[in-house]
Amino acid sequence: MALVRKKNRVTGEIPTASMADIAFLLLIFFLVTTVFDEEKGLQIVLPEPAEEVEVSQKNILHIVIQANGVVRLKRGESPQEQLVQAGELGNIWRLEYAQNDKLIAAVKTDPTAPYKFMIDVLDQLQDAGAERISLQILE
Amino acid sequence: MMRGGFERKSKAASEIPSSSLADMAFLLLIFFMVSTTFRKEKKRDVVIPEAAATKKIEAPRKDILHLFVERDGSVFINDANVPIEQVSNVVGPMYMGNPSMIVVLRSDAEVPYRFVDAVTKELQEARAVRVTFYTNVEQRITRQRR
Repeated sequence: MALVRKKNRVTGEIPTASMADIAFLLLIFFLVTTVFDEEKGLQIVLPEPAEEVEVSQKNILHIVIQANGVVRLKRGESPQEQLVQAGELGNIWRLEYAQNDKLIAAVKTDPTAPYKFMIDVLDQLQDAGAERISLQILE
Repeated sequence: MMRGGFERKSKAASEIPSSSLADMAFLLLIFFMVSTTFRKEKKRDVVIPEAAATKKIEAPRKDILHLFVERDGSVFINDANVPIEQVSNVVGPMYMGNPSMIVVLRSDAEVPYRFVDAVTKELQEARAVRVTFYTNVEQRITRQRR
């Protein structure tokens, strides 16, 4: 054979042109599915079991959360009760606290009331800057 | 500027070299693959209430204990169903081992309050008094600060 045969070079390579595509696909997948789980919420420090502090009635604002969500307010000294919506508590707290900075919010929740009612009230109080909050169950 | 009739249009190459796109993609991919951590405990079926005063908790992950209270009142700690009376027995030793522990109470929004109250009483007994009620940030468009 006088002709020099052109060597048939069998290419043993896998086509890698789509590698970038796969990389982008996986990237988009991770970008979309990654969720940052933040630790957040309403912080509170519960009293130790033995802690029972004597507080004068005039420094207490009784907040009673009933099963239907309506809040019954009673200012420590007066026997008069007031029915309000949970959303008004922030402003009420600000007004009361402005008159008495030793005020404590005593939150009593009905045992059958959904947890979110207590959270609503706690949210309002903390948003209004209340720091002395006591959480109890309504006997 | 017109010289005669013909003007050679200069074809300016206006392409940004995109040969490094694949490199960047791989880099970002490796970053995500390495930094993604998986949750240790299963996600529970809990509807989280919303609160506007939600604040981020600045505590290292090891100091946080998740306590799930589902709608029927069952309590889950580390994927184990713990009867409410046993909560203080379970949390007590954990708190002894880590006094800076914070308990994140992930309670369903519709749980009757008596279950949550029982759990908080158990936590008080276990001396784990730093409690956070887990909430989502409330998107209240009407809240305006003046």
